[in-house]
Amino acid sequence: MTAELLNTSLQLSVPELMLAVGAMVLLMIGVFSGERSVTIVSGLAVALLIMAGLWLVLFTENGAAYGGAFLSDPFARFMKVLALIGSITAMVMSVGHARAERIDKFEYPVLLVIATLGMMLMISANDMIALYLGLELQSLALYVVAAINRDSVRSTEAGLKYFVLGALSSGMLLYGASLVYGYTGYTGFDEIARVLGEGERPLGLVFGLVFLLTGIAFKISAVPFHMWTPDVYEGAPTPVTAFFSAAPKIAAMAIFIRLVSSAFEPIRIDWQQIVVFLSVASMALGAFAAIGQRNIKRLMAYSSIGHMGYALVGLAAGTQAGVRGVIIYMLIYMVMTLGTFACILAMRRKEEGNVENIDELAGLSSTNPFMATMLTILMFSLAGIPPLAGFFGKYVVFAAAIQAELYWLAVIGVLASVVGAYYYLRIIKIMWFDEPAPEFAPVAGELKLVYGLAGLFILGYVFVASPLGLAADVAARTFF
Amino acid sequence: MTELLGNYVPIAIFIGIALVIGLALLIAPFAVAYKAPDSEKLSAYECGFNAFDDARMKFDIRFYLVSILFIIFDLEVAFLFPWAVSFSDVGWIGFWSMMAFLGVLTIGFIYEWKKGALEWE
Amino acid sequence: MYHAIVFLPLLGALVAGLFGRSIGAKASEYVTSLFLVVAAVLSWVAFFTVALGDSETLRIPVLEWVKSGSLDVQWAFRIDTLTSVMLVVVNTVSALVHIYSIGYMHHDPHRPRFFAYLSLFTFAMLMLVTSDNLLQMFFGWEGVGLASYLLIGFWYKKPSASAAAMKAFIVNRVGDFGFILGIFCLYMLFGSINFQTIFAAAADFAPHGEQASDVVLTLFGMSLDKADALTWTCLLLFMGAMGKSAQIPLHTWLPDAMEGPTPVSALIHAATMVTAGVFLVARMSPVFELSHDALTVVTVIGAITAFFAATVGLVQNDIKRVIAYSTCSQLGYMFVALGIGAYGAAIFHLFTHAFFKALLFLGAGSVIHSVSDEQDMRRMGGLRKHIPMTYWMMIVGTIALTGVGIPFTVIGTAGFFSKDAIIESAFVAHSSVAGFAYVMLVVAALFTSFYSWRLIFMTFHGKPRASADVMHHVHESPPVMLVPLYILAAGALFAGLIFHGFFFGEEYAEFWKGALFTLPENEILEHYHHVPAWVKLSPFVAMLLGLVTAWYFYIRSPETPKRLAQDHRGLYQFLLNKWYFDELYDVMFVRSSKWLGSFLWKKGDQATIDGLGPNAVAARVQDITGRVVKLQTGYLYHYAFVMLIGVAALVTWMMLGSAF
Repeated sequence: MTAELLNTSLQLSVPELMLAVGAMVLLMIGVFSGERSVTIVSGLAVALLIMAGLWLVLFTENGAAYGGAFLSDPFARFMKVLALIGSITAMVMSVGHARAERIDKFEYPVLLVIATLGMMLMISANDMIALYLGLELQSLALYVVAAINRDSVRSTEAGLKYFVLGALSSGMLLYGASLVYGYTGYTGFDEIARVLGEGERPLGLVFGLVFLLTGIAFKISAVPFHMWTPDVYEGAPTPVTAFFSAAPKIAAMAIFIRLVSSAFEPIRIDWQQIVVFLSVASMALGAFAAIGQRNIKRLMAYSSIGHMGYALVGLAAGTQAGVRGVIIYMLIYMVMTLGTFACILAMRRKEEGNVENIDELAGLSSTNPFMATMLTILMFSLAGIPPLAGFFGKYVVFAAAIQAELYWLAVIGVLASVVGAYYYLRIIKIMWFDEPAPEFAPVAGELKLVYGLAGLFILGYVFVASPLGLAADVAARTFF
Repeated sequence: MTELLGNYVPIAIFIGIALVIGLALLIAPFAVAYKAPDSEKLSAYECGFNAFDDARMKFDIRFYLVSILFIIFDLEVAFLFPWAVSFSDVGWIGFWSMMAFLGVLTIGFIYEWKKGALEWE
Repeated sequence: MYHAIVFLPLLGALVAGLFGRSIGAKASEYVTSLFLVVAAVLSWVAFFTVALGDSETLRIPVLEWVKSGSLDVQWAFRIDTLTSVMLVVVNTVSALVHIYSIGYMHHDPHRPRFFAYLSLFTFAMLMLVTSDNLLQMFFGWEGVGLASYLLIGFWYKKPSASAAAMKAFIVNRVGDFGFILGIFCLYMLFGSINFQTIFAAAADFAPHGEQASDVVLTLFGMSLDKADALTWTCLLLFMGAMGKSAQIPLHTWLPDAMEGPTPVSALIHAATMVTAGVFLVARMSPVFELSHDALTVVTVIGAITAFFAATVGLVQNDIKRVIAYSTCSQLGYMFVALGIGAYGAAIFHLFTHAFFKALLFLGAGSVIHSVSDEQDMRRMGGLRKHIPMTYWMMIVGTIALTGVGIPFTVIGTAGFFSKDAIIESAFVAHSSVAGFAYVMLVVAALFTSFYSWRLIFMTFHGKPRASADVMHHVHESPPVMLVPLYILAAGALFAGLIFHGFFFGEEYAEFWKGALFTLPENEILEHYHHVPAWVKLSPFVAMLLGLVTAWYFYIRSPETPKRLAQDHRGLYQFLLNKWYFDELYDVMFVRSSKWLGSFLWKKGDQATIDGLGPNAVAARVQDITGRVVKLQTGYLYHYAFVMLIGVAALVTWMMLGSAF
């Protein structure tokens, strides 16, 4: 590698480098100024993420770096921006809860920065090794974050489960990657696509594909690789759950899209079946299992499983419209889930601390009408009621599936959303029609801001649908 | 053939020296060491545990901390060897890459030191 | 002017209904009453210009209403003599009832609502009578039904009132069903529902030649030629008329409707709405006249109703129910007149009946008002001295109803002219059932006289049977209630005298100007003037007989009726229970419907549709949820196992699926 190439590579990966170096600097700041530094480290971490995002939007060009292992293209940038927004929002939301949730350690923001770095690497990865590196960097940080409240049994249990199952899935992913490497002789996505394009399709390679996709399906918690999700969502501190439910999902879905749309594009027939299976299973389980839940975080876990299923409907179409649909869906999903978690974080009483039971929301409409209204909008949107954003998200992916003649998949999707609507509506019913539960403590400003903005976005999505759609179109065109 | 075998002479020498030193260290104590045996000294050494005991006994987590930290830094050497032998080929880029890698390691080391992970108490 | 006549009541209803709370009860009363008085005055003006002048049939368009395919319906007023007569009847009685209600309802807290309903009813009735096509008429028809429902159930806190309101509405639905089917048939036959088109086509519709047996309509699986089609259409229309005008067997709602406030009974259930059926048949006379069979049915139904209602009226004890059965009976007279082709006589009786029956009802209201809302005549008696004006007004109403007059002269009350005209026409008519109708009507006239005088005697004569407390409070009604009675009394006394010649006499043709259609061979008017003397005397004799019997039973020897009732226990109970119609319907329709309803509800809807549909799905969802949730055991190795199973399944699937 010549110095010139290195120079280009460095330039293309400036945001990632900023995060890497920044994380180390923050770590040093934190460790030298002790536990009291958590506030300043958090602030600096947010600033760092914002700077990386700005640089990404303003200065990063298209191109391949590090010998083709790292790609900077419209799709990557779009998804990275989403992931950064998710991370920043989650971090901002956690500030007020740091003490109560015992995550007031300076390592917490540093770990989030590192996880975000991992996501960004993953989104840009164009090589099996780069993919694995990004994935593991993200996962290792998340394992620790899940268990960060180490005095809580549930939190450590969540972290441990996540770690063990994550290790299992990483193993599967590595096994799949090695099979693919073995049958094609390459780890780079472009080269794999080239070899597959020549008509080679040995069974072992398909095995490799299954294992690879399994590893990633774990990260987006698609059924049947979802088992960790409810326990981790429930066990981890709520701000951590909020983080888990947004940015990592974006990143994992991004690499899912990139993997099947570039490396394995020639054997679409094969991965399409896997994606359809994952999609149907996720939609069904997400719809049914959530009904029995009393804990709102657990409910959101099943909700996110279901939503990943809907997003995969678009991917199953395997068309540009499908990918565009997935991108839009993930964007809307992220906004909805962050807004909802802002509301969940606001479920706090002075004496009891944070509460997670759905019944605690009873009569919220009379005790906190604004929050109740926003949460109602969010729930309607999650259920997919027009004219809210959630409806359009579902609409684009189902439309893509119908264009690709996957009629029955779209039908299953619609049926699942009918079943799923039940538990969203139940929350609304509890908020508006039940006898009021004791009032919540005053809601922190940043939470109000987050759920207010999320509600506004969802309500006014129709007005921004066209520019967002254009951006998603550009991103989706990367692969076609 | 002789040439091929000749290539292995240094290894043979190496093995020989290793044998000599090892045996010397084993035998020397019998000759020179002060002997005051007690039950602790005579029992087998198992990292501070009884050799035969309940498998579910409690033990200090710090054992693991120390060993994990040790292994991390131990493994880095695996990267340093190939780098060292091909040092003249990788050039400045290779050199600075390793320096960056070591820099990251150092940051980690500073962190664990400052956190007190290396102190037993 | 016609716009004002029709829309002033609507305006009043809207003002009182929407702003009644803010402008107060007084203002609501005055606004609606004032509008109605204006409309009534304008109606009389219209009557004199249209009916007594020589104006042609007017057609005043209001707006384009429905235009769909060949169906073209305009909202327009059709003003001819028939309409102007109805305008006079409706608006005059309505205005008087409005004014009367100011006094009668002054205790009620919901007066704005009451007056809004009254005005709304008037508007709907005006829509009905001014209609230019059947759709508009149906609109008015349903409008009066709705207003009637609202007013009968005005005291909705009283369960019997709510039940009566529902009964009236539901029984009317049966008739309305026939009516709307009749409209459909007319549309099928004539391709239009505008009166003008239908009437023009009806004249040439009569079957002749070889086309007579062509099938023109298929109804209930029957293939009908022109004559039969016309008969069936007329019968279906008449079914609507039967419902609205309380003819047997759809009469049962009318007595129950007396649960409403008395002014409502006077306006809706005596003078106006119940005569809508008569109006419908008269309006459709160009069509009915072509179907001899249909007219026969109308005659028979009318005669039976007249007789039946009169018999039931003999033994009723509720003052309003007696008058209600009397109304029912008088409506039967009108239908007999329609059935024998004496349309003029029918409308004439409608016109006079509106006056004296409204008078009787309002008078009864005045009585009820004075005895603290008591309606049972057995607890009245001897009221003559306490409420003399009401007494005399009731006497006027009674002599008008029973048809007091001097035979062979032109001196007599309203009923003397209109009712006797019907009876005499029945005798001379060429219908096969004319003789039957005549006998029925004469007997009914006898009964009418009896129960009317019985009412008077039981209420006003004899010893007071009310408690001393009630008697102490008896008082004459205020002038606001009495003045309408005077006006109506004037109408009851002189309407027959004045208008006899126009409605059914020498000036028939000039008066109606073709608004009522009769075939050339229909010469009933001609025959009517040449009836034998004994026929002319017969209603008079019947009336006298009734009066004398009543006097003997209730003044001379009050024990006689009791003994009679005991001797003929079965007959008495039969009459008292209104020929057991309600019980019969209860068994035939109400209970079986309720059984069917509850069967469909419990078994059909809840068990089958809900049970297999939504509820079953919901229950299965719950089951699945329960099982899926159980998968989440919390054990790490289960989770890992599920993942591995998933991978294994996928790998197997790919292996089998990809045919290597």
